[in-house]
Amino acid sequence: MRIGLLTEGGYPYVSGEAGLWCDHLVRGLGQHEFDVYALSRSERQEDEGWTPLPPQVTRVRTAPLWTAVDDGVVHGRRTRRRFAEAYGELVTAVCAGGPLAWPGPLNRAPAEEGTDEAIEADRFGNALHALAELARDEGGLVGALRSEAAVRTLERACRAPGALRAAGVARVPDLLTVTAHLERLLRPLSLDWYGADGLGSVDLCHAAAGGPAALPGLLARRLSGIPLLVTEYGAHLRAHYLEGAGNTPVRALLASFHGRLTAEVYRQAACVTAGDAHIRRWQERCGTDRAGIRTVHPGVTASRTDDGTESGECADHADPYTVVGVGLTEAAGDLTPLPHAFEEIRRSEPRARLRIVGAPAGGPDSVCSGRHGEHGDGGEDGEDAAEARTAAGAVVVLPGVVEGFPFDLVEAMYRGRATVSTDVGAVAEVVGDAGLVVPPCDHRALAEACVALLRDPGRRARLGAAARVRALELFTVERNVAAFHDIYLEIISRFPVRRPVADEAGEPLPFGVPAEAHLPWRWTQQLSPPLLGGPRWAVGTPSGATRPVWAAAAGQTPALRGTGEATR
Amino acid sequence: MNERGHAAVPAGTGLRTAHSERPAGGGTTTHADGGDTKDGGVEAARRPTGSSDSADPVKALLHRHRDLCERAVDPLEIAARLEAHGMNDRAAARFRHRDVFSLAEELYARVPRADEAWTPERGAADPPGAHAGWAVLALLPVVLCTATVAGTHLTEGRPRLATAAVGAAAVLLGVRASLRRGPLRAPAGPRGGTHVWTCWLLGYALCGDGVLSSALVGGPDGPRTPATAPVLALTLACAPALWCAGLLAAHARRGLAASRSLKEFAGSVRPLLLGLVAVWLCALIALLALCGAVLHQPAAYVGAGSLGALLLLARFLTVHGRTRVSSAALGVAGAAEATALATVLAGRLPGCSFLVVPVESAVDLWGPGVVPGLACGPAALVLLIQATRTLTRASAHASPPRSP
Repeated sequence: MRIGLLTEGGYPYVSGEAGLWCDHLVRGLGQHEFDVYALSRSERQEDEGWTPLPPQVTRVRTAPLWTAVDDGVVHGRRTRRRFAEAYGELVTAVCAGGPLAWPGPLNRAPAEEGTDEAIEADRFGNALHALAELARDEGGLVGALRSEAAVRTLERACRAPGALRAAGVARVPDLLTVTAHLERLLRPLSLDWYGADGLGSVDLCHAAAGGPAALPGLLARRLSGIPLLVTEYGAHLRAHYLEGAGNTPVRALLASFHGRLTAEVYRQAACVTAGDAHIRRWQERCGTDRAGIRTVHPGVTASRTDDGTESGECADHADPYTVVGVGLTEAAGDLTPLPHAFEEIRRSEPRARLRIVGAPAGGPDSVCSGRHGEHGDGGEDGEDAAEARTAAGAVVVLPGVVEGFPFDLVEAMYRGRATVSTDVGAVAEVVGDAGLVVPPCDHRALAEACVALLRDPGRRARLGAAARVRALELFTVERNVAAFHDIYLEIISRFPVRRPVADEAGEPLPFGVPAEAHLPWRWTQQLSPPLLGGPRWAVGTPSGATRPVWAAAAGQTPALRGTGEATR
Repeated sequence: MNERGHAAVPAGTGLRTAHSERPAGGGTTTHADGGDTKDGGVEAARRPTGSSDSADPVKALLHRHRDLCERAVDPLEIAARLEAHGMNDRAAARFRHRDVFSLAEELYARVPRADEAWTPERGAADPPGAHAGWAVLALLPVVLCTATVAGTHLTEGRPRLATAAVGAAAVLLGVRASLRRGPLRAPAGPRGGTHVWTCWLLGYALCGDGVLSSALVGGPDGPRTPATAPVLALTLACAPALWCAGLLAAHARRGLAASRSLKEFAGSVRPLLLGLVAVWLCALIALLALCGAVLHQPAAYVGAGSLGALLLLARFLTVHGRTRVSSAALGVAGAAEATALATVLAGRLPGCSFLVVPVESAVDLWGPGVVPGLACGPAALVLLIQATRTLTRASAHASPPRSP
């Protein structure tokens, strides 16, 4: 099976984000072929090069998202009118606003064909595909998207009745900014990836993130019927909202565009996977069909943290009065629970000490006032030092708010440590009943939980063992890869791409394209069976079939041909 | 906004079992049954605020996040930012909402949108690469020209030729340097023969009139002194051209920030553009008169004036990206001049004397300057119309977007 992996600013670039799970996936599924279609975000990212690729990645095609060269095609009048229509529909859908999900966040039955809701839902998608077809037929989409006609169309849509209130007060620089952003986001439409030798030849498109990374997958689905699988380890729309900058009209229009694009991607995808329940909620809110969502937890490599010893021994080596704080490098905003909580801990348990792994975002002094605990030198140490410090503590605390999946927590669970964490994001789902979960922004509860664990080694050991079992069961890389493999097979069976293979006579060959046709060697070569892993007695070339004895009655001696050919 | 119906069940319900350990002392949470509240059932999203047990709990949240709610464009943005501050569904239940999204919708509905003052985008200043001192650099060709003219006046014979050659080269470099930076900086890219045609047109302005008039009376007799006055005036007029372009760019940037619609912007830029072109033409005519008087040569107003207008408008259009139009116009003007010369020279062939008639009659009526005037004039007019359409567009003056 040939899988097209679509990424944006990720794998295979060295500095790509979320490239690690793609790497695990590609290496874990060696029996399939992968074509990587990567969009790069900046020139620096392209210059930094790729991570080493395994042999099952047969092809890598990249395209820059940070620049677009106008191919110099000048449009005639009919093409200009076609572009104006398609782009007008697109910006009208963007400016119209309205709820993202038709049929709404509660996932009622999908709208019937022909109703207003269905028409609205289709408008954005149809406009996108009209622009893509224009790019394929005529080219020169980049120039058209930068032209004055595009800005004028946007202005008309903003001033139309029924547009967003924020869009109606947009001034000329806002219109220019939005046009520039839209041109950048629609650059994948002008690529030449969608032909029969590109994305048209894969069996399945796997988008590594939602939003613009999945845009080529949308087009491949529309043009060639390739099913699309979208994996999100971070809600794209949420990330866009959090980094929004600029004037209100610009933010409103871009948020509307991203929302519509996300909803369209979810609608067209055959399956959507979420990293945890937190992201799943966002996906459902944006209109995914609930039956098409799977939850696939990210895999954390166990080999790095597997030191081969029993968790009980590990816990014995740990200092029973040390509390280790993790996850502070990504903690956004609220770091104050930890110093207040630690003061309370010290009040009840004077021997307690606090160590911090990793450099906190505001510097070590922002966490500890320096009087109470010694904090470990949270510098930029290597992984081993961080592990050593994690291993040195008896209780691991994850205070504050962590964006995304709490990897540090899972690593602590692998080490068999009892954990105390605040109930934000995916933490409760990760920990389950194998650790203590406290409400957020409540340092007293945090302190009490830590003190309770520090005083009770038996409970610590039980929780640590339960945590390790849970981590080994749910968060291993093998489980993650196996889940994706199952999803691939399911999608291919439900949405097969019809590519009839013909035999020599021109008749369609049944079973011409089975799901796992990729053998790890070239079977057309003359390799001896022991090399293929076959039995030792089949060393020589196989002899031809002997004629049966009764055929000899016709006057022909049964010919025992010594040399035969290995026919297939 | 009461949303009933089957609640959205997070997928982690199966993982979070009923006996999840929670600290016994944490009395701040009121939902005793943990994660099982969300399983099935119909629950009201919100009780009426008149209930007696507590005041409106959302009001405190509203005050704390007032800023965020006023700036938000979407309920989903409020939900995203609340989650970044640590809110989750269980905390939202404290505010009597089913999940963070419905709480965010209530906040969005309750806070009136603040009409913030429109601020121009940061970084909408000069486009990158603009040399700061271009206004001063514009005077460089003037200085070099003056030095060359003075040098040729003061020397005789061979040193005079050498001075003239060195001075011409220096002036050329100076003009290139001043055009390389500043508001007349052309974007990199294929130019389509603009340079070739510019050189041809300038060369014709230098010696074409003389060649034409001598060809009409019987053939070029020998090397004639080139008419340096028009070329000198054109070189001196580079400085006002740069200043006019700078003025136009500055006004366009201010107009972009101030105008509310594209038509308004176009209406504000068009008169300035036409006015600047007219002012520059007047300056060129004045410089032509000055150079003619200084060098004791007849000032070819028509020819050099139309050539100057053509070159200026072609440069404007090239700077804003319309290279094809400008190179086409330059090519047409150059070809017209070449055709005129060629017809005159071809008229000597036996049987082709009719070719000379149009050019000869025009030159007899108005002088040899009519040929470049008729060649460059209509082209300049076309470019002027094109510039009025193109340079008044907002997209022509947009600064390149910062990479997000």
